[in-house]
Amino acid sequence: MKRLLIVLSLALGVHAVTLAQTRPDFTGTWRYNQGKSNPNTSGNTPNIAFPSQIVVKQTPTEISVDSTSVRQQPVSAVYKLDGSKVAVQAPPGISETGEARIDGGNLVITSRRSFSSPAGDIVNDFKEVWTVTGNTLTIVKTRIQSGDSITEKAVYDKV
Amino acid sequence: MRTTAAFAIVSLGILLAAGAPVQAHHSFSATYDGNKPITLRGTIVKMGWQNPHAHMYVDVKNADGKVVTWEVESAGPNALIKQGLRKEDFVGAEIIIKGFLAKDGTPTVNASSFTLVDSKKEFVNEPQTP
Repeated sequence: MKRLLIVLSLALGVHAVTLAQTRPDFTGTWRYNQGKSNPNTSGNTPNIAFPSQIVVKQTPTEISVDSTSVRQQPVSAVYKLDGSKVAVQAPPGISETGEARIDGGNLVITSRRSFSSPAGDIVNDFKEVWTVTGNTLTIVKTRIQSGDSITEKAVYDKV
Repeated sequence: MRTTAAFAIVSLGILLAAGAPVQAHHSFSATYDGNKPITLRGTIVKMGWQNPHAHMYVDVKNADGKVVTWEVESAGPNALIKQGLRKEDFVGAEIIIKGFLAKDGTPTVNASSFTLVDSKKEFVNEPQTP
């Protein structure tokens, strides 16, 4: 009986550790670190524009993401971590949906953004892979339009 | 009398110079919408080869066949030359541009990068390229 209890305790412990590993916590206020990010993620001609600051709140089932940038309109969303599609609160004139899921130690957010332009309707697909290590958040973001893609990496420090 | 006339002429010159159109050097975030990335393909019809930004005027055909002339703000001539581009490479060339739409919704973009289709010459932005 005693041996069985020890085995069960060990099994539960391993399970708890596994859960902790597969549920990284992205909660916090994250500020863009220019020195650690790819050079083409800021300045006057970024390949992909990354937000200056991201505020994240996470529960076991949801993650809310509020992104702000200097002199740019904010973007926010509350994603269900079951991967179901949600509406993103984008600036006027932009329609966006997205979905998020925890994949191993990463958060993966995919989204589709559309807006009208003098060239007609523009559709961009994005994929973001978030990794948190201590007080550092790394986001690798890919933008796809008309089959053509660009990928850049940005690093954020916890405030 | 002569001094007064000279002062008036200099003052007039300064006033005229102040009123002359200049190419402003502005930040990305003031003019362009980082939430609206866009890729365009068209033909360059005019090239403004000046500092601090070169400006291309590009005819782009919409899905409905209508042609719209876009103003494309690029890096300055020095940055373009550094990457092997010359003024004469542009007018008449087909180009693919990746950039961001202007906030005011006009057919204006900044170019993060571009490719001249036939010559395969490319421009890729460098950090903090003006």
